[in-house]
Amino acid sequence: MNVSRRPGLHTLALRHRSFLLGSVLSGLVVLLALISLVWTPHSAYELDIANKLKPPSPAHWLGTDHFGRDVTSMIMVGAQNSLVVGVVAVSIGMAVGVLLGLWASAQRGWAEELVMRFSDFTFAFPAILSAIMITAILGPGAVNSILAIGIFNIPVFARITRGSANAIWAREFVLAARAAGKGRAQITLGHVLPNILSAIIVQATIFFAIAILAEAALSYLGLGTQPPQPSWGRMLNEAQTFLYLSPHLALFPGLVIVISVLGFNMLGDGLRDLLDPRLSRTRLAGYSSR
Amino acid sequence: MSVLEVDRLTVALPMVAGLARAVRDVSFRLERGETLGIVGESGCGKSMMALALMGLLPEGADLRGGITLNGCDLRALDEKAMCRVRGNAIAMVFQEPMTSLNPVHTIGKQVIEPLMLHSGLGRDEANAETLSLLERVGLVDPRRFYGAYPHQLSGGQRQRAMIAMALSCHPEVLIADEPTTALDVTIQGQILDLIRDVVSERQMSLILISHDLGVIAETVDRVFVMYGGAVVEQGPTPDVFARLAHPYTQGLFAAVPQVGEGRRRLRTIPGTVPELADLPGGCTFADRCSLAHETCRSQVPDMRSVGENHSAACLRLDAAMASSSFGSRR
Repeated sequence: MNVSRRPGLHTLALRHRSFLLGSVLSGLVVLLALISLVWTPHSAYELDIANKLKPPSPAHWLGTDHFGRDVTSMIMVGAQNSLVVGVVAVSIGMAVGVLLGLWASAQRGWAEELVMRFSDFTFAFPAILSAIMITAILGPGAVNSILAIGIFNIPVFARITRGSANAIWAREFVLAARAAGKGRAQITLGHVLPNILSAIIVQATIFFAIAILAEAALSYLGLGTQPPQPSWGRMLNEAQTFLYLSPHLALFPGLVIVISVLGFNMLGDGLRDLLDPRLSRTRLAGYSSR
Repeated sequence: MSVLEVDRLTVALPMVAGLARAVRDVSFRLERGETLGIVGESGCGKSMMALALMGLLPEGADLRGGITLNGCDLRALDEKAMCRVRGNAIAMVFQEPMTSLNPVHTIGKQVIEPLMLHSGLGRDEANAETLSLLERVGLVDPRRFYGAYPHQLSGGQRQRAMIAMALSCHPEVLIADEPTTALDVTIQGQILDLIRDVVSERQMSLILISHDLGVIAETVDRVFVMYGGAVVEQGPTPDVFARLAHPYTQGLFAAVPQVGEGRRRLRTIPGTVPELADLPGGCTFADRCSLAHETCRSQVPDMRSVGENHSAACLRLDAAMASSSFGSRR
């Protein structure tokens, strides 16, 4: 087939700075978490009071905390924690939210009204406040903080899905599909979802970053991950007391939080540009039907 | 028995300005193999009528009158049953081939889906059928087009793919809503030929909607001229074109630019189509008609016969036909 191509997706991806930097940064965080599954410089749980509050050194690259635990190892294990929270919370929000949004858009009328008013209701509370409320009801802990963040994500995804889906429902090819005898469910799965997938993926990436930040905030407040499981947010909390004595204790966890949030945000921005169909079009050239 | 019977079809749409009566009291019978053209300006209710026949009117629209397909009352069917009729017994080709195909699916997938949905064919059979359909609509080397995405095709090729989709389940009635409007003139002729050929080949009935008199003249047996949601003139195509009865039809003809007439201002019909939400009493065309009398503004004209099967709704038919210089021109 005689296909003349504008630059392919790979080429465009390599040219896109924010996408490139975003994937490197978020890739770094994922790599940290993966390595920590098999190897850490020291144990992230072992106390060594004799070596407490040590600044960075060849033995402890990023120093030790007030119990003498190795900060490098804690950050690496903490990355697992952050990523798991991000993945699970976004998955919960996405699964339920996308379903609700698609349903609202396909049914219209009272169903749409119900989903949207529910979203408005949830948005009326600041995110962190509703997360605190949920963990206060369910009790603190990693699982409950994941749930809290996930529940907060539901209306976010419901909204974006409904909005994008409504735009697709108004398109002529949906009318054509209806004229071909397809029902609402078939059109939703076959025509609407594939066309809004890129918007949802971009949203998921950005909310992944927000989920990481939210987990850090909840753990900082003592409502998230519980000791001895390392968590970036709680490391920050504990470092607070020693801020003048050992600023590195706050610096490094803060830095990895910034790096991962920045990384996933830039990745999301880059994806949004790259998945925009206007950027990558191919056309069959020199083709005539008769 | 007629394939399609439409009895006093009326569509009203809720608008900001009030209830827009997009289609008013349209009745007709369509026989097997018959082709019907509906012509009129934009906003005269042509497309709404097509959507009403498909049961695809926008939400909130008020539909009255009867639509009977092969003796089955379509108005009585629920959405699920209607889904089995759409694309199966009655199919539609849309105006914009650029936007009527889903950009994320291949042509093949979009043709094969309604086929498998309605026919119950297995994947292999449906595949073979799809390839032969693509070939039939003039997409030579159908395998290439089967795997191609809509954006890789030209407008004409896309419209061919749309026609393949519409034909896939051997519908008895094909509705084509401005199928060539978005295409180049050279492609228009090819697509019209294709539609005409497949319609006669498969003994389908065709409803062709267009604002283009040339398209209508070339393609259909019978023509309806619509204005302000109602039919103002109807008859066999040759008769209507030979003896333009209604002043509106005459105006439409006069507005067609003629090659070789030299440079002159294009003739137009003064004014615009009436707001469907605020139709004047009496004849809806009276405000734009040079022959309008006092009575035209108060009395609603009935259809009056002006020839065999040829009728027009005008109170001043005699004056209109006497003054018609356009009828003799062609």
